[in-house]
Amino acid sequence: MTPLFALLFDRLDERLALRSPSRKVANKVFPHHWSFLLGEVALFSLVVLVATGIFLTMFYRPSTQSTVYTGSLELYQGRAVPAAFESILRLSHDIPGGLLFRRIHRGASHLFIAASVLHMLRIVLTGAFRRPREINYQLGLGLLTFAFMAGFTGYSLPYDSLAGTGIRIAYSELLSFPFIGDRMAFWVFGGDFPTGDVIPRFFVFHVLLLPAIILGAVGLHLLLVGRQRHTQFPARGIDGHAMILGKPLWPAQFAESATLILWLGGLLTAAAVFIPWSDVSLLGPYVPGEVGNNAQPDWFLFWVDGALRIFPPFEVRLPGVVISGPFVAGILLPGAVFTGLALYPFLERRVYGLRGDWHVLQNPLDIPLRAGVALGTFSFVLLLSAAATNDILSRLTGIPIEDVLLFFRVTCLVVPPLLGLGIASYARRRLRARGRVVARDEREAVRSYVPEPHGPTAAPPPQQAAPASPVRPD
Amino acid sequence: MTSPGQPPHDPDADPKAELRVIAAETPPDSTLNDSFVVLSAGGAAVLAVVFAVALLAGGPLPLYGGALAAGLLLLAVAVRRYFTDRFPDVEAVEPRAIPGAEAAENEPLADVAPVGPRRTFLKRFLLAAGAVFGVGIAVPPIASLGPAPRSTLRTTAWREGRRLVTTDGVPVRAADIAEGGLASLWPEGAVGEERAAVVLLRLSDPPRPPTVAAWVVAPGLVAYSKVCTHAGCPVALYRERDNALFCPCHQSTFDPSRGAVPTFGPAARALPQLPLGVDADGFLVALGDFQAPVGPAFD
Ligand code: FES
Repeated sequence: MTPLFALLFDRLDERLALRSPSRKVANKVFPHHWSFLLGEVALFSLVVLVATGIFLTMFYRPSTQSTVYTGSLELYQGRAVPAAFESILRLSHDIPGGLLFRRIHRGASHLFIAASVLHMLRIVLTGAFRRPREINYQLGLGLLTFAFMAGFTGYSLPYDSLAGTGIRIAYSELLSFPFIGDRMAFWVFGGDFPTGDVIPRFFVFHVLLLPAIILGAVGLHLLLVGRQRHTQFPARGIDGHAMILGKPLWPAQFAESATLILWLGGLLTAAAVFIPWSDVSLLGPYVPGEVGNNAQPDWFLFWVDGALRIFPPFEVRLPGVVISGPFVAGILLPGAVFTGLALYPFLERRVYGLRGDWHVLQNPLDIPLRAGVALGTFSFVLLLSAAATNDILSRLTGIPIEDVLLFFRVTCLVVPPLLGLGIASYARRRLRARGRVVARDEREAVRSYVPEPHGPTAAPPPQQAAPASPVRPD
Repeated sequence: MTSPGQPPHDPDADPKAELRVIAAETPPDSTLNDSFVVLSAGGAAVLAVVFAVALLAGGPLPLYGGALAAGLLLLAVAVRRYFTDRFPDVEAVEPRAIPGAEAAENEPLADVAPVGPRRTFLKRFLLAAGAVFGVGIAVPPIASLGPAPRSTLRTTAWREGRRLVTTDGVPVRAADIAEGGLASLWPEGAVGEERAAVVLLRLSDPPRPPTVAAWVVAPGLVAYSKVCTHAGCPVALYRERDNALFCPCHQSTFDPSRGAVPTFGPAARALPQLPLGVDADGFLVALGDFQAPVGPAFD
């Protein structure tokens, strides 16, 4: 410690008794694996998002009022466009660094959601959601939905032609709720679309409400990880159920995180230089009643858009209520996927009669049910996402859109269950071939893939030779 | 991984023991590393200055953006190097158990309990009153967020005698639309009121039912709502190959020669037809509002 830092710390320590908690935190052991970085990548993208977002907020004008652009971009000089769109033009073309920070913000938002999705995939596949971590897993799923909302509102704020179309569909989705849909839509939009309130409302959601929820939930998420400790992959000679093997927070984990955030910042900036993320000046402002071809949401909502596309015409009118296709495909279906994921830990526990707490991660093939559910669900979501490009596919391949649609209707229904059942039965045969069954509690499970160091059958790990890192099976 | 004579994990060891280092590798002494850190950190600082100067001087984005990116990456290298160079690479184990988890297992949460007989009724009543209170203060602010929909979604700005105008507000005559042509029009005085948008087409053959023949201006001029009955996108495209109105959002297709019924895609309802007529001056006018709700389903 540098003398200055030591002095400062001592003064604080006298008043706040910081030494013992700091020691405890610094000594906390973090297991190492590349896939554990995914959550960190998401966290640091969030930091970049907040930092660049504050800068952007200074210039953005949340209004749809018609305003004449007088900046340096020739294409729009003297044209009346919505104030929100005008402020984005000004930010991008007339404010030094504005375009750079806007692109970094956009890039970081893609990275935030992508890393969160992959992180969730890692949790599901390796079984990090099992007791005692179900709550944190569900909190994470909630966070992901809020991240989607933040992404969507951010995509809407420039009020360009794509944004307007997206907002219109979101409005229709709210309307589609049976019974209270029209009311809900009016609450969110402040009246019928397009009102002057949409953009101010979305602005509040995007810069105040959603960030507050996301930051709060991320804080809680991390607090729970700290409290319940990190899971880890099996390591030879370590009883992962009782002990954590890894590197202490100080200095190893700290160094890694500091490096990671700098790398991310650097790569996002480089991406901002090379990739013209959503150049709104090419899209043009939103004009009610107009839309171009290729109306597509951001990639993370492709699956919902795909579901809207391939869902057959459906509208059932009962007295006072109507259940429509957009409600089933756009609200119920994504809701069911997320609810299913959130409840899956309890299903697995029930089906296999699992007992006790679990801290050691598994190969998903060791749990046939999980292998099947995971592959089934994620192939379903991927196929739906692909279905959101049906018009592009039809144009590229020359296959009539009718046939492309039929193809997706069939594959989305047939392929995921087949894949799920296939991998589940493969996993079952694999277990049988190895003479193993699904372990009921972690002691049993750990024994089956970590030879006990002092056990009668397993060879003891080399005691004299000291390799630098633990040897991991598989 | 293990130091001689020390088992990697002894199950009988004190479960509350703190972090135990099981392997530590001390980095070799090297001045080369030091100069590496100095060079990379120094380079990062120089690049930060380049970024600042280029940005302030109005330089091009690739210059200052590139300097910032390279600076951050170099700084990352410097930080990494600094740590691997200064600290031993430590591998440690630590017990998982949350400290203090078992000690207080059956203790009550607090040492102060209510006196007297258990007043379950009072407790429940207090909770219920609190819930009513919570809902009571939450509802009005939510209700104030938007006006009540009432009939807003069931009506549009179309009235009897209201002219069809272009986005620039110019009224349209029947002769303005050539055969096979189409125009996107609004009610006069309500341009941009999204749910009132219509597409006007001149069909080569007289449209068949369920098109309402009385609302067709001869020969073959019909107007339909432009708001897709699926999820509300503008049905903006006209496909000449099969005379179809086409929604670019999810590819719903409507047949204007047969009451704009959906022929393909997810839309389940026809586009409502606008009662169309001609006024005394020869301009196209509405004969009234749409007879069916426009756009996506609600209720
Ligand atoms: S909005 Fe027209 S097809 Fe979905």
